[in-house]
Amino acid sequence: MQDEQGTVAQDRELVAELDPASSGIARRALMSGVSLAAAMAMLGAGSRLAEAAEGSFPAHKRWRLTFVNHVTTNPFFVPTQYAIADACAMFGCQHQWTGSANADVAEMVNAMNAAIAAKSDAIAVPIVDTKAFDDPVQRALDAGIPVFAYNADAPAGGGNKRLAYIGQDLYQAGVQMGNRIAGLVDGGTVALFIATPGQLNIQPRIDGAQDALKKSGKNYDIQVIATGPTVNEELSKIQAFYLGHKDLKGMFAVDAGSTQGVAETMNQYGLAANGVHAGGFDLLPKTLEMIKAGSLDFTIDQQPYLQGFYTVMEMFMFLASGGLVGPAEINTGLKFITKGSVDPYLSTSTRYEGKSAKAAIVPRMGAIAG
Amino acid sequence: MTIRSGDRGRLLGRFLRWKEASILLVALILVGYFEYANQDFLLTGASLQNLSQFIAPVAIITCGEIMLMIGGEIDLSAGMVFALAPFILYFANDAGLPVLPAALLALLAAGLVGLVNGVVTVILRVPSFVTTLGTLFLVNGLTLTISAGTPVSPPDAPVFAAIMGNWGYSEISWAVGLVVVMHIMLRHTRWGLHTIAAGANPVGAREAGIHVNRLKIGNFVVMGVLAGLTGILEGFRISSFDPQAGGNQIMFLAVAAGVIGGTPLAGGSGTIIGGLIGATVLGVLSDGFTLIGINAFTFNIILGAAILAAMLFNIHITRLARGGAGE
Repeated sequence: MQDEQGTVAQDRELVAELDPASSGIARRALMSGVSLAAAMAMLGAGSRLAEAAEGSFPAHKRWRLTFVNHVTTNPFFVPTQYAIADACAMFGCQHQWTGSANADVAEMVNAMNAAIAAKSDAIAVPIVDTKAFDDPVQRALDAGIPVFAYNADAPAGGGNKRLAYIGQDLYQAGVQMGNRIAGLVDGGTVALFIATPGQLNIQPRIDGAQDALKKSGKNYDIQVIATGPTVNEELSKIQAFYLGHKDLKGMFAVDAGSTQGVAETMNQYGLAANGVHAGGFDLLPKTLEMIKAGSLDFTIDQQPYLQGFYTVMEMFMFLASGGLVGPAEINTGLKFITKGSVDPYLSTSTRYEGKSAKAAIVPRMGAIAG
Repeated sequence: MTIRSGDRGRLLGRFLRWKEASILLVALILVGYFEYANQDFLLTGASLQNLSQFIAPVAIITCGEIMLMIGGEIDLSAGMVFALAPFILYFANDAGLPVLPAALLALLAAGLVGLVNGVVTVILRVPSFVTTLGTLFLVNGLTLTISAGTPVSPPDAPVFAAIMGNWGYSEISWAVGLVVVMHIMLRHTRWGLHTIAAGANPVGAREAGIHVNRLKIGNFVVMGVLAGLTGILEGFRISSFDPQAGGNQIMFLAVAAGVIGGTPLAGGSGTIIGGLIGATVLGVLSDGFTLIGINAFTFNIILGAAILAAMLFNIHITRLARGGAGE
């Protein structure tokens, strides 16, 4: 704007110098010419701005991404759903969140079939059963629909043809948990709680933990207990187990609901003060509170936000490049959260942890603990 | 509203007086709506196959529930027998039995559960709601115990698996076949007619010499076998026997399908064809909304509202057809 005014002033002087009589017409012509030039300059700048807003990707159809899930109403996946919405807003896609509310594999297969019939542009599904998803995935690929696994993966060499897996390495997560347990508990009865045994998003964790404990060489009496798919039931079962085994040395869980149950039981009976150790997975609010209170030694963050975000990113890249830019396995990592690191999780309320629907950029200062 | 005169009026009147007409109308309207909302609904083979897989399991179980509901009874344990039968098949096969005898053994076990339900209800005079509530938990616990809560792969028998649910249209073929058989049984055999009579007027039926107890126990056994068969079909369809499969959800859907189709919960009359149409309505709603892209959270709100709306429409059409001057 400053430039434009400066130019007009200079032009006026020039015109005044040249010819006072015709200066009126000439001035008007010059001014309209200048205005035109200025307008074109602004238009140019504006169109460059518009391009920047579009980004490097040209306009495309609003791709329909279908996310099938095994526990659609479980609070663990709330950050995942936020992530899918955020990523879709960024990439110009629309999404559907469907599946089963209580881990019914038949309902999930039905949802996948419906997505294939509706000609979805991409499908993502946690592969929670060793065989049931082989056929639907194959049919989706035959129909030209890319399929990604997130949160839970098919067993290696099992024959499932999903293009890539985005999520935690579940067996390794279990191994790391087992190693940490071996560091906390020297021997004796250790209880491992699992909501629904055999289900592929949690069974590998408990397998990894058991293997790590066996390799540690210490003398453990490992008890594996199934707690059920609902939080209320899980708490009752964990309390009942403790009351029947008051001499146990450690209580650990491999899923969010059971972890919360372990935390509440530890708190209720004051077990941490008696030297009992406990830990688990996921960041339910109660779990975090109990870590702060000292009743739970650690919890493991699976980063559910990333499981949604990176999956949408992979889908978009596949669709935008016509399948040429290949899908890649993404390990969404594993973080141990202990009493020393739990504070920021308790004090922030963002979409990234699922505690609030407000969009936010979270400020961070100081050195990174690594 | 009185029946209109003239040929067209008479045909319309005859159609409306047909018991299942109203719910059929509802089903056709729903199909039309979803066809319009999402063009991939019926036109592709994949879509029809998919829809059939929504409808078939509910349709088979509702046949059994309808036979019981006519007599004023109900079987709440159907969803749990659904989960038990495949495991009986799996363990029998694992122990060495070939897959077909193993399947028959599984159906026998399912029928046995039905027999227990029937005997306790009829001979021991426990209301069927309570009896089947008890067997619901018993059978669920039994399934979880023998399976250790872990899903298993079905036995490797490609031809058997294809017939028993793995081929895309296998389940709906079984469903339609069973509906035809049960409909003929209900309307054209002594068993079916006696069931209706005993349901409408138990005292009168007994006085007329009908063995009401034997009928009811028999119907409980049929219910068990149908529930077990459906569990096996679904297990082969998704290539996984899961102890958490089925459960109360499918039992509720089956009862709902029967009621939506025109069989009152209190009993006295019933229609198997109506049950099939009811299952179709529920299947069309579930499949249609998923195809449109409704998200899981709002799904149940819309499904519930749609069921209420469909039933209101159904009841009003029925009243119009009966010429009732308003109640």
